[in-house]
Amino acid sequence: MKDVLQKAIDIAVAKSGANYAEVRAQWLTKTMFTLKEERVEVAKQGIESGVAIRVLVNGAWGFASVGSMDRVILEAAVSDACNMARLVSNRLKNPIKLASAPNVEDHVLAKPKKNPSDIAMEDKIKTALVVNKTSLDFDNHVKSCGLDYMDLMGTSFFINSEGTNIEQDKLYVWARITASAQANDIFTLSSEEIGSTAGYELFDDHPAEELGRKVAKRAIEQINAKPPKGGKASVVLGPNVVGVFVHEAVGHLAEADLALSGGLLSNNLGKQIGSSLVTLYDDGTLSGSFGAFKYDDEGIASNKTLLIKDGVVSGLMHNRETAQKFGTQPTGNARAEDFRVEPIIRMRCTYMAPQDHTFEELLEGIKEGYYFKSFRGGQASLDGTFQVGIQEGYEIKNGEIHSPVRNASISGSTLETLHKVNGVGKDFALYPGRCGKGQTAFICDGGPHIRVNEVIVGGSA
Amino acid sequence: MVAVLEKNFLISLAEDAVKSALKLGASEAEAYVYDGQATNIGIDLGQISKTHRIIDRGLGIRVIVNKTVGFAYTNIISNPQTVESVATRALSAAKASRPDPDWHGLPPKKPYRATEDTFDSAIVDLHPEDLVKAATNMLDAAGEENPSVFPIEGGVGSGYVANAIANSNGIAAFDRGTIAECSLAALAKNSTSVTPVCFEFDASRKYLLNPIWVGSEAAKLAISALEPKPVETQTAKVILTQFALQDLFAYTLMTAVKADSVQRNQSPFKDKLGTQIASENLSIYDDGLYPGGLRTAVFDAEGTPQQKTILIKNGVLQNFLYDTYSARKDGKESTGNAVRAEYLSTPSIAPSNFHILPGSKTPSQLLTEAEDSFIIYYLQGAHSSNPVSGEFSVVANPCWKIKNGEITHPCRGVMLAGNIFDLLKNIIAVGVNERQMGSIIAPWVLVEGMKIIGK
Repeated sequence: MKDVLQKAIDIAVAKSGANYAEVRAQWLTKTMFTLKEERVEVAKQGIESGVAIRVLVNGAWGFASVGSMDRVILEAAVSDACNMARLVSNRLKNPIKLASAPNVEDHVLAKPKKNPSDIAMEDKIKTALVVNKTSLDFDNHVKSCGLDYMDLMGTSFFINSEGTNIEQDKLYVWARITASAQANDIFTLSSEEIGSTAGYELFDDHPAEELGRKVAKRAIEQINAKPPKGGKASVVLGPNVVGVFVHEAVGHLAEADLALSGGLLSNNLGKQIGSSLVTLYDDGTLSGSFGAFKYDDEGIASNKTLLIKDGVVSGLMHNRETAQKFGTQPTGNARAEDFRVEPIIRMRCTYMAPQDHTFEELLEGIKEGYYFKSFRGGQASLDGTFQVGIQEGYEIKNGEIHSPVRNASISGSTLETLHKVNGVGKDFALYPGRCGKGQTAFICDGGPHIRVNEVIVGGSA
Repeated sequence: MVAVLEKNFLISLAEDAVKSALKLGASEAEAYVYDGQATNIGIDLGQISKTHRIIDRGLGIRVIVNKTVGFAYTNIISNPQTVESVATRALSAAKASRPDPDWHGLPPKKPYRATEDTFDSAIVDLHPEDLVKAATNMLDAAGEENPSVFPIEGGVGSGYVANAIANSNGIAAFDRGTIAECSLAALAKNSTSVTPVCFEFDASRKYLLNPIWVGSEAAKLAISALEPKPVETQTAKVILTQFALQDLFAYTLMTAVKADSVQRNQSPFKDKLGTQIASENLSIYDDGLYPGGLRTAVFDAEGTPQQKTILIKNGVLQNFLYDTYSARKDGKESTGNAVRAEYLSTPSIAPSNFHILPGSKTPSQLLTEAEDSFIIYYLQGAHSSNPVSGEFSVVANPCWKIKNGEITHPCRGVMLAGNIFDLLKNIIAVGVNERQMGSIIAPWVLVEGMKIIGK
C-alpha cells in the first residue's frame, strides 16, 4: 500500500505542481456499546479506512479525503486537491509556508498489557453491567444510569514529499459513566469519564464497582445541595476543575492558530500574565495518558511544551504553518480526528505544575467561599473570558468544607483569574476528556488543587 | 462534484445487506447506506487560503436476534464481500450483547409524503470557482463595512447527501438532499478593546445564499461589540435571539421532549402532558416536512415518514418526540424523529426542524417592550446546563444593553443564571422575525425575570 501512497505524492509534486504534499492513510476498528439501566442498548463494531491528502500549491492548501485506497481514486483526488488549491492561490496576500521539520522514518507499535481486541465483547459488557448495577443499587433515589464504552485500534501511515515515512499504531480505550437521581422536584446528574492510550488495563486502575459508586454518590449528594449565592467569591478548585480551566481558559488561547486569530496570548509572549505560582504545560509524552502519541499528523514528534512559566507566557502550541509564522519550531500539536479531516492545532495533556501547599493550607483563611471539585462542561472565548460549570461543589466556611452546592458555575476574565491564583497545591491528578474544535480530539488535563481569591460564581440563589 | 452513486445502486446495496443478515440468522435486519460529498472554500486569518473536498460513503447494518440488537458499519463499500462481512460482524455484536425485553421490532413500511425544496441540482453542479466568488464577496463585504474588522475564519460550502434504507419489514427507500452555506466569524479591535468573536451565517437547501449580507452583518456585530461596559447584578428582561435560543434549548428543552428522556426519568415533563408548562405565548412544532428546512427529509433514520408533531401549543405540552423503540414502549406511533450519525451509528431521538412559532411583534416592537434590558446573542457554557433540572448558568459574551427601546452599548462578562423551564413561563412576547439555525426555526423572544450577574 505504501507504493500507492508514494505514487500519489509523486503525482502531486511532479504532475500537479504541488510544493508540498502529504498523505495519511488509516485503518481503524472500533467497538462501542451503550448501557442504560443494566440494559445493553446496542453493541456496535466498525471498520473504517481511508486516505487524507493535503497539498500546498503556490501557498494555498488543498485537502481531499476519500474512503478508499484504490489507486485511480487516490490519483484523481490528488489532482483535484491541487487544482482547487491553485484556484484559491491566485488571491492570496500571504502565501502559506511551513517551518522546516526533520525527516522521520519510524514504526511505532502499541504495546498494551491488555489488548482490547483480545477481550471478548461479552466480557467488556459484563464489566460495564457491574458499573451500572453498582450505581442503581447505591440508593433508591438513583433513577437512571448509563455507560458508553468505546475502544479504537488502528494504524496510520504518514508519508510526505520531504521524505518522512511513519507507520504508527493507534489505541484508545474510553468510557463515560452517568447517573441521575431524583427526590421530589429535585433532579440531579453526575458523570465521569475514564480513558487511556495504554490498553484495557484501564479497568484494572478503575474497578467497576468503584466507578458505579462514585457516580451515584455524587448524584445523590446533590439532592440535598443548595444553589450557591451568585457573585464574587474565593474558591478552591480541585484538579478536575483546574484541568478544564487550564484547557478551556488558557490552553485554547495558547493554540497558535487561535492566538493568531486575535486571541490575547499572541501579544503577551514573554510577559507576565498571571501569578508567579502558575506554570503550565501541554505535554504529548505522558505515556498511556489519553492525549499521548509519538508523532502528530504532520509527522512531527510530540513534545512537552512549556506554555507559561512562573506566570510568564513562554510558548504556544504549533503546527508547521504557525511555527513558520512565529519563527519557531513545531511542537507536535497538529492532530486530525481521522482521515476525513485535516490536522489542526489541538491540545494533548494540558496541566498546571504542582507547588507546595497542602489541601488544608489552601482552605485556610477562606472565611466564606466554595470548594469546586468536579466540572460539567466549560467554554472560553478568544477575548479571554471563560465559563466552567460545576457538578460537584461545597461551601467553605472558616477554612472548612461544609454543605454541598449544586449547579454552580464560575466565570471571569482568564488573565485576572490567573493573577488571582494565590495558592497551588502539591498534589497532582489528570483526567481524560474529549475536546471539540470542529473535530473531536482525545485529550487529558489536570493539575493540583489551587486557590483563587476571586472569581464570579454563577448561581440562582 | 464527483459522480454521485445511483439511487438503484444504493437501494439494492441496502436490500442485499438485509437479505444477507437474514440468511446469516438474524430475525430482523435493517441496512442504511450513505453517500455524502462536501466541498468547502475556507477563509483563515483574513484571506481565502484553503479548500476541502470530502467524499464519505458507508453502510451500517442493524440486526436483531432474540431481542438482542447488534450493529456494524464500514466505509469500504466497493468490495463485493463487504455486505456479508458487515452482516456477520453485526450478528457477532448481537451475540455478545444481552436481550432487551423492551425491543418490539423494526418499524413497519408506511406511505411517504414528498418534501419541498430539499434538493437543488444547481448545488450539485457548482464549480469551485462559484464558491470562491461567493467567499470573496463575503470577505469584501466585511471589509467595506469597516476596515478594522478582522475576519478570523469562515467559508462557503456545498454539500450533497443521499441515503437509502431497507429493512426486513419491506421498507426500501431513497432520499437525497443538498445544502449550501456560508459563514464568517470576525472580531474588531481598537486601541483599548478586542471584541469576542462575532458570527453570522446563511444556509439553504437551494443555491440562494447571501454571502454579502453575512459578511456585512458579521462586521457590524463585531464593531458594535467594541468598548463593552460592566453590568450591575440585577433581575431584568432580556431578548433572546435565535443564537441564544438554540444554545439554551439544545441542552435542556430539546432533551426534555425526547420520549427516551421521559421514559428514563430524565425529563421534568414526565406526567405533564396536557398541562401548562410554558407561557401562552409559546407554541413549538417539530416539523420534519417544513419546506426547505435544514432537517427536512422524506423519512427519518429508520425509514419512518417524517411529519409535523405539535409539542407545545399555547404553553400546553401536547406530545413527545419518538423513534420506533420508544414509541412501542409507550404504545404509541413513532413521530419520525430517529436520527443517526450517517452510517456510523444506530438511530437515536432528536428534533427535526424545531419550530418555535412566530408571534406578532416586529423586532422594534420587541425592543420597545423590552424597555430597560439586554439583548442576548452568543452564549458560553450552555452545554454545562443541567438537562434534567433545566438549571443553567452561562456567560453572554457579548450582550448588548437596551435602554428605552434602543440598543445602546455592549456589555462584558454578563452571567445569566436560572432555570430553562421557569424561563419558558416568563416569555412575554414573541417576534415575527424567524430564521433557521441548526435544527431551530425561531424568532426573537422577550423574557422577563432573568437573573443577571455582573461585576
